[in-house]
Amino acid sequence: MTDDRVIATTALTKRFGAAVTALDQLTVAVEPGITGLVGANGAGKSTLIKILLGLLPPTSGKAIVLGCDTATQPEQIRSLTGYMPEHDCLPPDVTATEFVTHMGRMAGVPPTAAKERAAESLRHVGLYEERYRQIGTYSTGMKQRVKLAQALVGDPRLLLLDEPTNGLDPAGRTAMLELIARIGQIGGDFDISVVVASHLLGEVEQICDHLIAIDGGRLLRAASITSFTSASQVLAIEVDEGTEALAAELARRGIDPLRAERELLVPIASAATFDAVRDAVADLGLPLNRMEQRRHRVEELFRDPAEAADIGAAMATDGRAR
Amino acid sequence: MSAGAATGGGSAAAGVIHDIGYQRYEGPRLGRFQIAAALCWHSLRSAFGIRRGAKAKIVPVLTFVIMCAPAVINAVAMALSSSHARIVDYDTYTPTLRVIIMLVFIAAQAPELVARDLRSKVLPLYFARPMRRWDYPAAKYAAFTLACLAMLDIPVLLLYLGTVFQVHGLSAVLAQTRALIPGLLVGLMWAVLLAAIGLALASVSGRRAFSTGAVAIFLFMTWILAHVLTTIASQQSRVGPGGPAGPPRGAFCAADFQTGTSAAAHLLGIISPFNVLDGVRQWLGGTNCGIVAKPGQYGAVYGIALLAFLGASLAGLFFRYARADVA
Repeated sequence: MTDDRVIATTALTKRFGAAVTALDQLTVAVEPGITGLVGANGAGKSTLIKILLGLLPPTSGKAIVLGCDTATQPEQIRSLTGYMPEHDCLPPDVTATEFVTHMGRMAGVPPTAAKERAAESLRHVGLYEERYRQIGTYSTGMKQRVKLAQALVGDPRLLLLDEPTNGLDPAGRTAMLELIARIGQIGGDFDISVVVASHLLGEVEQICDHLIAIDGGRLLRAASITSFTSASQVLAIEVDEGTEALAAELARRGIDPLRAERELLVPIASAATFDAVRDAVADLGLPLNRMEQRRHRVEELFRDPAEAADIGAAMATDGRAR
Repeated sequence: MSAGAATGGGSAAAGVIHDIGYQRYEGPRLGRFQIAAALCWHSLRSAFGIRRGAKAKIVPVLTFVIMCAPAVINAVAMALSSSHARIVDYDTYTPTLRVIIMLVFIAAQAPELVARDLRSKVLPLYFARPMRRWDYPAAKYAAFTLACLAMLDIPVLLLYLGTVFQVHGLSAVLAQTRALIPGLLVGLMWAVLLAAIGLALASVSGRRAFSTGAVAIFLFMTWILAHVLTTIASQQSRVGPGGPAGPPRGAFCAADFQTGTSAAAHLLGIISPFNVLDGVRQWLGGTNCGIVAKPGQYGAVYGIALLAFLGASLAGLFFRYARADVA
């Protein structure tokens, strides 16, 4: 393991009984910066986080976090790691200041410093003016920010954020993602490595430097965000009528489209693909409703990488536009 | 870390707003024992509603005041009487009042320490801190034991102070001090056991009503049931074939059995933790009348029952947090 790796797992396996394999021979490395950990519900994201925090022992394999072995140095790892759970975890009847200060104390920060750091953390997440209000009176977005503040208060070297945009409206999601991007920016103000677990690739890819996709406890892909998404461009075409005719016309022009509900999905081989689609629609005189460039969604990444290249197979279950 | 500054007005005297950016923490980091101690202190304050709203203070303050009342009454009575004799004992204090007040305090405040965290699902945040799984229940137990100890022994200390200021001579003060020590130890014994039972029962549910109900029903019902069963058994043994009635063993110990009372009458009381505590007190040498009759030859059974209650409660409490979800 090189020194700059924040997390490194080797053949990490976790089984619950004989029937359930949560993680299966997972070998990944997380570099400094922001890393997206994407996978559907049940993919093993939460199990991986618990193992990385030293809260669950792996069945086999090894995990090193910030140079510490999760099996032998879990407390050292937890003293340097901030964790933001997915679910609601805030007491409603205390103020944000009191709660974050207390969590700072629990992170090993002495009393006076914990108070100072709590105020600072709440300021960084944008709750400085509201910090003396009881958490129960906060909106969902403010609660998410308190969760982030309590993860920051101990000045961690690594943040593990589990679905940080859960329950937020679009504006709240954008604000949260911008905040995470600022925290995880290499050489930036915070310079804290961040792992963002999410089932929304569309969100995490906006801010991540690296992406790890897991499914069924197995690694699908781990790469930089650029390489992750560059090879996965597709074009979604929706016409009010004549979808079959358009599919036939595209096939005649050497493009193999996939019919997915009301739209056709076409892999973007080059800029010529756009021209071919435009010409096909124009030649047939079809009423074009929508033509949208999109990337692979997380569902596609659950498939074998070789299969993922097959847009048709990948998109068969995909009905959500980005 | 970057640092920047922006002037807030035309002149420097008007003030400067500094955006000092994110500050790294370079100070000391406390170990897990100090973190557990911090959690213990935080929980101890919670037990008395400190740093909580006014509503949270009602029960602890009220129960504490009522618990201290006998000590104050004793001081006043001593001042008014010509003999200046103490009327409340250190080891039993006011036995029935003590049971009722502790029952209310534990039922109301044990959920404050554990059920709130369960309810708000904050446990994963604790477990993600540099403490071990057992540190959380251990800190909570230590805190609640101290809270119960304060409820039990501060009134006893007030009783002592109210007494020693009214007795004459060093020997009288020493005599009071010698009598005080067993009283404080009895308080400790009560605190150790009742805190364990209270937290174990309160942690069964995150819903405060259920937690309070579990504690109150168990402590109250076992106490009442023990009283009823003991009364029936002792009456039967008095009228039964082997029950020649003997004189009461003490003029003020109405609960004491007459000689020849059956073993059942002695032992049925151990279903209540309060009875067990008082039985152990008498087994260990306490002579003042309490809430149960003298256990006699069954004293060791009360001792075993106390250990069984304590062991089962602590095992239940720690098992609860072994099962608690962590993330």
